[in-house]
Amino acid sequence: MSAMLTTERTTLQDQVAETDRLLRDTGHLFGLEELLRKQDDPGTYEAVWHILLNICNTAWAVGCRVSSSAIAVEGGDALWGLHLPTGEAVCTSKGITAHPGLLSLFIRSLIEAGYEDVPGIKHGDVFENNDSHYGGIHPADFDAAIPIYYGDELVAWASGVSHVMDSGAIMPGSIGFMNPDSFADGMPVTMEKVGENDKLHPWYEMRVRSRTRMPDWVMGDARGRLAGMITIRDRVIQLIDRYGLDYVKDVMREYVEDSRRYAVRRVKTQAVPGRIRKSNFKDLAMAGKRVIMPQQNIDCLFNLPLEINVSPEARVSFSLRGASGWVPFGQNITPPAIVSALLNCYSHIVGFDMFNWGAIAAWNLETPPPGSWANPHSANYYAASGVAWAPAVMWMSSLYETFGRAYYTRGYIEEVAAGAATTLTAEFSGIGQYEMYVAGLTLEQASNGAPARGMADGETSAWCIYTPNADFGNAEVTELYYPILYLGRNIQPDSGGYGTYRGGLGHTAVWMIKNSPGVEYQCGCAGMRSKVVANHGMFGAYPTWPDRGSYAAGTNVKTLIDAQQPLVHERGDPVTPDLAKNIEAEVLETNLIAPFVTPQQLHEYDLVIHPISGAQALGDPIERDPALVRDDLNRGWTREWVAANVHGVIATYDDATKEWSVDEAATERRRGEVREARKQRAVPFRDWWQQERQRVMAKENMADAVLTMWRSSMELSPDYGSELRAFWQLPEDFTF
Amino acid sequence: MAEYDIAELERLVDGQLPWPRVQEIMKAPKDVDRFDKWLQILQRRVSWPEPILLPLTPNLFIVQKGGERIVKCRCGHEFGDYRVNWKLYASIYVRDSAEALGEVYRGNEQPDPAWMQLREYYCPGCGSQLEVEAMPRGAPPDFELLPDLDTFYRDWLGRPLPDRQEFVDKTPDVIREWST
Repeated sequence: MSAMLTTERTTLQDQVAETDRLLRDTGHLFGLEELLRKQDDPGTYEAVWHILLNICNTAWAVGCRVSSSAIAVEGGDALWGLHLPTGEAVCTSKGITAHPGLLSLFIRSLIEAGYEDVPGIKHGDVFENNDSHYGGIHPADFDAAIPIYYGDELVAWASGVSHVMDSGAIMPGSIGFMNPDSFADGMPVTMEKVGENDKLHPWYEMRVRSRTRMPDWVMGDARGRLAGMITIRDRVIQLIDRYGLDYVKDVMREYVEDSRRYAVRRVKTQAVPGRIRKSNFKDLAMAGKRVIMPQQNIDCLFNLPLEINVSPEARVSFSLRGASGWVPFGQNITPPAIVSALLNCYSHIVGFDMFNWGAIAAWNLETPPPGSWANPHSANYYAASGVAWAPAVMWMSSLYETFGRAYYTRGYIEEVAAGAATTLTAEFSGIGQYEMYVAGLTLEQASNGAPARGMADGETSAWCIYTPNADFGNAEVTELYYPILYLGRNIQPDSGGYGTYRGGLGHTAVWMIKNSPGVEYQCGCAGMRSKVVANHGMFGAYPTWPDRGSYAAGTNVKTLIDAQQPLVHERGDPVTPDLAKNIEAEVLETNLIAPFVTPQQLHEYDLVIHPISGAQALGDPIERDPALVRDDLNRGWTREWVAANVHGVIATYDDATKEWSVDEAATERRRGEVREARKQRAVPFRDWWQQERQRVMAKENMADAVLTMWRSSMELSPDYGSELRAFWQLPEDFTF
Repeated sequence: MAEYDIAELERLVDGQLPWPRVQEIMKAPKDVDRFDKWLQILQRRVSWPEPILLPLTPNLFIVQKGGERIVKCRCGHEFGDYRVNWKLYASIYVRDSAEALGEVYRGNEQPDPAWMQLREYYCPGCGSQLEVEAMPRGAPPDFELLPDLDTFYRDWLGRPLPDRQEFVDKTPDVIREWST
């Protein structure tokens, strides 16, 4: 009954080599051409899977509670997993599903680096890594693992990851978008044995205390990771006692191969072979703002191209051909982290009965262009990765739409999703309400709108790209962590794009600084756009608007409160925002290009307005059911000018009933006028192409960031450059 | 294995099914005859006779027209060989100024026209907005989906199409013709 892979009396390095060989030779993970345990007793097979799921989720609950940070306790921004001896994730908890791939590769890297010999692997050891040079994603995410022995045999690993409140980087907090290089990324833990006998080494804690700003919380997270991993280890040993070692070893491998088969089958039965392309772009405009180093006084535009090729065998290949160059900010990511990011996205768009490493064996990531933001180390070994997720999640957003297009062709309309929302973070740092230093992240960004579906609007404030359990935490609890009070947390109208079906809406948090002698606000980028909108006009929809921040310093809010005058509870009108209408202040910013750090500390009664985006829409907006527009008007989720101008819906408000009603005849006329107006103002593509070609050659009205992006994309991917030149019929030596 | 009648699938497609029922369909193993029923639903909703080979979007379909496979709009307008990006035969309107963008995005919701342009692709026949692209100047239009139709029908569905066409992007050929 035992799997083809023999594990007894072989080193872990030998097992890794044998696993690779079997996949190469048979096309099946571990050479499992049949799932014998599943075939023999499917009931027990399912039951044990659910026991493992429960074990991992118990570890999540234990670990988050042992930790004490807002991110773990309130946001659950952590994950625990069970792995094969060679690293492949078998089963994971809920939480940040971007990590099972990274944790798998981390364990494999320990093996490949010869850790069996030096420093040795034994029961009770604790290994950890957050260094992007060795497979980490960004320094705030600490990946940890412990071996699980049954008798004297290493039969599995338990893993844990959590996002700490402060990574010890050059700027406070954990969203290191401003880090100029890896030396500024924060406290490194580089593939280390950080503990033995189930205890963390004292020098590990010493380093945390001397090199992070919030050591109690960072150590709380470390203990939480360890507690969760020990929970998994102890319960897996109990499981083996009950079901037998051979059985558990066999089914763990079968679960992974089962998942690979599912990913292949899903593509073959619900998608189409061929080529799918989606370009996307993301800005990082920092010129003229507060930065760390002079070379950061620049504006950047990222090229985030996605090409998917689905082979006749339903094998999926991903390409980043055309990705632009690395940036002198913390927004560079390494290929292993992209692999893990892809797995995260697969968990959303392909979905699994058994979510684990298996899907990674079903696809291939072409090595991203060396020197690009997606593979920076060959050009700059010290490129920063403080918030490496930022460009990756923007890139992954295209995966929703591209797979949605594939599912649409086969009629699986309920599986279609438009593009994702963005991730604009808010961090505060300074002296808090307990007269102690505080630095950390609010969880507002963990609750976006969900993408529009093929037959319905997306859900509002209920989705997050990096974790399936979107949770922005309780406002009242967040107020206990940071010296802020919520003046508002409101659904933001029209924040889900404009289409036949709109994306789920985002929300806006309005904070007032309270009980602090001074704090900084970082309006951070963990995957946002502020100069541009996403290229997600799926099936004719308009994309969601850009992320913009607002704040006011030196305000008259205390006077207004004393006089019982109106304050600010939402963004309000985009031309005359509530902040400008209601508040007087020494500094009053209502349309700031994100990301940014306030150039001055904020003090008592100063205000911050922080938007969280909705997700993307789908379909021609003038085909939206007028009844849905009316419902949105009644809930305050759309505005009259959008209803009329964008959706072509003519509605009137009844002061008596306090409700909107649609004039159906006028709406039909209006929509006919919109179609006619489109035809009148448009030109044949060929005419536009001829004119636009001249403008491209003249580089007309192209920001420096755009030109720089094109130059690097074409240089790093010469064939991409050739294709671009061929489309515009540009000279072979043309560069931007 | 789940199976749904066409009437229920039509209600799903039209967004008329109650959400709990949609969730049941999402969670159940997929129905294997969905594609055939999907084509039946769509074919009934268009007024032209050419058989739909593959729907691309709510408005655009790859159809068999004689010996050709072309992209055709719901309204009947034809865009030519499916291996050429249909956008080359669409009408286009580009918002690349604050004024033009302001009709869609106002005040602090407006992107920067020096960084991007909003390209709206319309059907020349019916004025439907087929796709919208947000691109910096210089970006070629996305050719979102180029299916390998013969492999799909022959190997994945098990019913080969009567003729065979090379799986290749023919967009560059058209661009070359335009420039001569």
